[in-house]
Amino acid sequence: MKAPLFLLLAIAAASFAAPLVGAVAGIDPNMVDLLDRLSGPSLMHPLGTDELGRDVLVRLLGGGRVSLVIGVAAALAAAALGTLVGLAAGYLGGWTDRVLMRGTDAIIALPLLPLLIVLAALDLHKLGLPERVIQSDEISVIRIVALAVLVGWTTAARLVRGATLVTRNRDFVRAARSLGAGVPHILWLHILPNVLGPLIVATTLSVGDVILFESVLSFLGLGVQPPLSSWGSMLSNAQELIATAPMLAVYPGLLIFLTVVACNLLGDRLQQRVDPAAASRRWSTKKNRRAERGGERAPGPF
Amino acid sequence: MIRYTAIRLVEIAAILVLLSFIVYALIGLMPGDPIDLMRSSDPRMSAADAARLKALYGLDQPLLLRYAGWARQALAGDLGYSRLFSVPVWGALLPRLGNSLMLMLPSFVLAFALALGLGTAAARRPGSRLDAAVNLFCFAGISLPTFWLALILILVFAAGLGWLPASGIATAGINDAADRLRHLVLPVATLTLVSAASYTRYVRAAMREALAQDHIRTARAKGASEARVVLHHALRSALVPVTTILALSFGGLVSGALVTETMFGYPGMGKLIFDAVMGNDYNLALAALLLAAAVTMAANLAADLAYAWLDPRVSYR
Amino acid sequence: MMPAAVLLVCAIIGPLRAAERDSLSIGITQFPATLNPNIDVMAAKSYVLGLSLRPFTVYDADWKLTCLLCTELPSISNGLAVPVDLPGGKKGIDLTYTIRADAKWADGAPVTTEDVRFTYDVGRNPQSGVSNAELYRRIGGIDIKDARTFTLHVDKLTFDYAAIQDLMLLPAHIERDAFADPAQYRLRTLYNTEPTNPGLYNGPYRVSEFVGGSHILLEPNPHWAGPPGRFRRITIRTIENTAALEANLLSGTVDMIAGELGLPLDEGLAFAKRHGDAFQILYKPGLVYEHIDLNLGRPALADLQVREALILGLDREAISRQLFDGRQPVAASFVNPLDLGYTDDVPRYRFEPIRAEALLEAAGWGKGGDGIRRNAEGQRLSFELMTTAGNRSRELVEQVLQSQWRRIGVDIRIKNEPARVLFGETLPHRRFDMAMYAWISSPENVPRSILHSSEIPSEANGFVGQNATGYANPEMDRLIDALEIELEADKRKALWAEAQRLYATELPSLPLYFRSDVFVLPKWLSGVRPTGNQSPTTLWITDWSAQP
Repeated sequence: MKAPLFLLLAIAAASFAAPLVGAVAGIDPNMVDLLDRLSGPSLMHPLGTDELGRDVLVRLLGGGRVSLVIGVAAALAAAALGTLVGLAAGYLGGWTDRVLMRGTDAIIALPLLPLLIVLAALDLHKLGLPERVIQSDEISVIRIVALAVLVGWTTAARLVRGATLVTRNRDFVRAARSLGAGVPHILWLHILPNVLGPLIVATTLSVGDVILFESVLSFLGLGVQPPLSSWGSMLSNAQELIATAPMLAVYPGLLIFLTVVACNLLGDRLQQRVDPAAASRRWSTKKNRRAERGGERAPGPF
Repeated sequence: MIRYTAIRLVEIAAILVLLSFIVYALIGLMPGDPIDLMRSSDPRMSAADAARLKALYGLDQPLLLRYAGWARQALAGDLGYSRLFSVPVWGALLPRLGNSLMLMLPSFVLAFALALGLGTAAARRPGSRLDAAVNLFCFAGISLPTFWLALILILVFAAGLGWLPASGIATAGINDAADRLRHLVLPVATLTLVSAASYTRYVRAAMREALAQDHIRTARAKGASEARVVLHHALRSALVPVTTILALSFGGLVSGALVTETMFGYPGMGKLIFDAVMGNDYNLALAALLLAAAVTMAANLAADLAYAWLDPRVSYR
Repeated sequence: MMPAAVLLVCAIIGPLRAAERDSLSIGITQFPATLNPNIDVMAAKSYVLGLSLRPFTVYDADWKLTCLLCTELPSISNGLAVPVDLPGGKKGIDLTYTIRADAKWADGAPVTTEDVRFTYDVGRNPQSGVSNAELYRRIGGIDIKDARTFTLHVDKLTFDYAAIQDLMLLPAHIERDAFADPAQYRLRTLYNTEPTNPGLYNGPYRVSEFVGGSHILLEPNPHWAGPPGRFRRITIRTIENTAALEANLLSGTVDMIAGELGLPLDEGLAFAKRHGDAFQILYKPGLVYEHIDLNLGRPALADLQVREALILGLDREAISRQLFDGRQPVAASFVNPLDLGYTDDVPRYRFEPIRAEALLEAAGWGKGGDGIRRNAEGQRLSFELMTTAGNRSRELVEQVLQSQWRRIGVDIRIKNEPARVLFGETLPHRRFDMAMYAWISSPENVPRSILHSSEIPSEANGFVGQNATGYANPEMDRLIDALEIELEADKRKALWAEAQRLYATELPSLPLYFRSDVFVLPKWLSGVRPTGNQSPTTLWITDWSAQP
């Protein structure tokens, strides 16, 4: 528990302190120096400079901020949306359940990548978003988070629905109902706490997935746009320099690797905490296996 | 069981209709169109040309009207022509589908074989060095972007060692199986490594749970051989969750692998769908996407039915 | 397990590299959607057709118009071009061409005026799906003299009247059936349904294998009467990812990377640094003019002093030197130094940040506390800079510009859009401050669509026209109108010079450079001569040869 959490926190803290580090060292991550391109490590630039003479370390940290924000924001938002859908489907049952679950199926059934490409190229003007939002610098980040949520919520929805189906007929829920407790009350106080464990695990795991997903979008030219950079976009830019400056690819790649490993380990450990009876397993109990089955999205072959 | 299957089939059909509309609308919401792009690359093409071509391709009609037209034709079994390639949709789709199956099927089988082997071995000795190594393989596999793995494989095996061709589907003018096979090795290896990493994690988790179950302990106590315990008893219950993942991956056979195909210049479905979507080729994009969705949902249904067989405790009424 | 399988397969099949010098494999980054010469515009198609289909006329590597399929260029002095007065006071011209006697389709059928007539019918028909129909609209009629000679009646007299490369011949003897229903032509044309039919090609090579999305194989046209090509087989292979394309070259899967559709210059330079010894690498600045459009509808940019300050604040020389190794010379205006109309007698701007700052002060933009300039009303001197998202080279330059302008107190916000959005929506609606992109032109291409005031896109004209800066100057309009119809080269040269001076003085857009193509060729290949204009090098494939 400790080690991965510590690692994640360290990466996050360093990333969010990036502007501070830059300011103290007098380095602007966007300041171009054409006379100092692709230089090796030095006192001024501990990890050297990139193809425009910018400090790699400060840019890596800055990129980490973008990657982590995308990863965490998307994972949380997907969990929230999925929980709502899952609760509604599981508790209300009947037609609501059918419609919601078939909707989930539909999203799982569509090939992920082409769909995202369409979404990434959408004209936001035609969607009627306010001009201020469309014009903002962070619009590419918001777009990616929205995309990740749109395809990511199904995991949480299935998970929560399954747990809700099991819990809703337990004695304490029935008791609460007979005492006249309202639906929101029951959902919030009695059902949600019971699914929180697996939900946290799934959310932790998806942080790493989203960060990777962002790198694929960058590869297709649909990722975050300059001047912002993320680990994914740095990695994808570096492929053209693979022979000239391999380290430009190694650094972001290594950070993605560490983050993904840390998220996965953290998820595993959390699982052991939450569900000690079945340490190490990702799969639900026999009784509700059918209900929870498919909580995971298939690993997409990209 | 039959009733259940029938209901599910109807649902699948309904979802497909809904999806077709959503995809159509989404493509329509993409800004600009291919005619504008054509103009920006030919200084001699005039505005009049652009307007004429837009009318010719029906791009000047309202979206809903175009969708209605498409739906009417599609229901009559006519999927129309691909705008991009100017051939009937099936003519553009089928060769690519064949290529994709040739790429995806071996990757799929190899990845599962590798995952079953590694996952089972790791699950049998939790915490061992082997387990740790398998874990490391999984982490490396899932955190290495596909385009990087592909590039490294090309640089090592094609550019460095010169053992294998770096791209394409066949040597031009040569039409034999060995040549096709050689062109498949690197892309298949890329896809296998990437998907095996994630599959292994599922297998390992499922096997560990299965091995901890009561009836395994009973079987062991009864003196069944280790091989029989693992292969017969544990594997069978572990296959239940693994089947789910398997079913969900099935759509990939049809929808292809965009990044791998791009890196290896391999003409498969992933690239076709990408080009169709980007080129506002509605007919082609819809046919390909719906086909992939239908295959996934059918596989999902098949998996649900397979549970009844794999795990007698599950039944459908 | 995987390495073992790889080893096994390799052992069975044996080593790959078998150098055959009678075959050539070319890597490009795009696959042609169709090979029909008159439908769709695609560089990959021009590249393949360069090998297999002869245009009548073409600009060669010396930027001279020459005949490929015809015997002689019509001119007024040789009597084959006759200016005529048209009703309504307009002037037209009658042009007589003769098809080479030895021109044959690869199935043995001769190329005749029957093909010309058929192509004209297809081109004139609005339903046939021909992309660039401008020439066909201008041709009012055709007179067929005999099987090889025909006269075109063109109803507009321009100085480049003899250039008819847009009239790409279609083989009437096999394509006629497909045109029975004109609206179905683009779907039924044999170029799509049977691209390996030899009758479709009349160049030195014909397409003999067509594997969509992967590669195209070409073999010699048995009926080709010109000097024969030296290669028995030419493969055009498509790999879109340039990093993978480089690896393909290193592995020998392709022998060369085409300059027309190959590596961007910065990648080419990096490649040359590592592997320059093993290949011959040619750089050729071409007719792709990279520049920054300034939206003159924005008050700050409407001020000439500001525009001048912007260009003086840029160290374009340093960009060219450091990022592009000096291979992409700084442009002074929109006319390429290789062009007939080029003059170097134009205002030139070097990097003079102090003068730039003085100009901005004079224009009323004083420095604010954050280092960004402000005017009397307190507005910041801040612009949005756009380019095509995903173009790494442009994205790099963009970030350099941002950094350099920041030093003279101009704030730049980078906001890139996918090409289809930028060209399809943003530029036509003039929703931008600054946009960095390229104009692709041809030799002596009159800049009507980009600089004439009648080409400013607006609500009133349905957002048609490519003058996105909104540049309107009666003097420029006059020069453009005069240029188009001036038949005498010397007089035209003077007009060109004036237009360039006016452009460089008024700066409706900031010139950056003419983009360079990188040709990566094997050491043993000779005869490849980059043209620098839009004619693909493959048109002169018969000059290419392998040296032992």
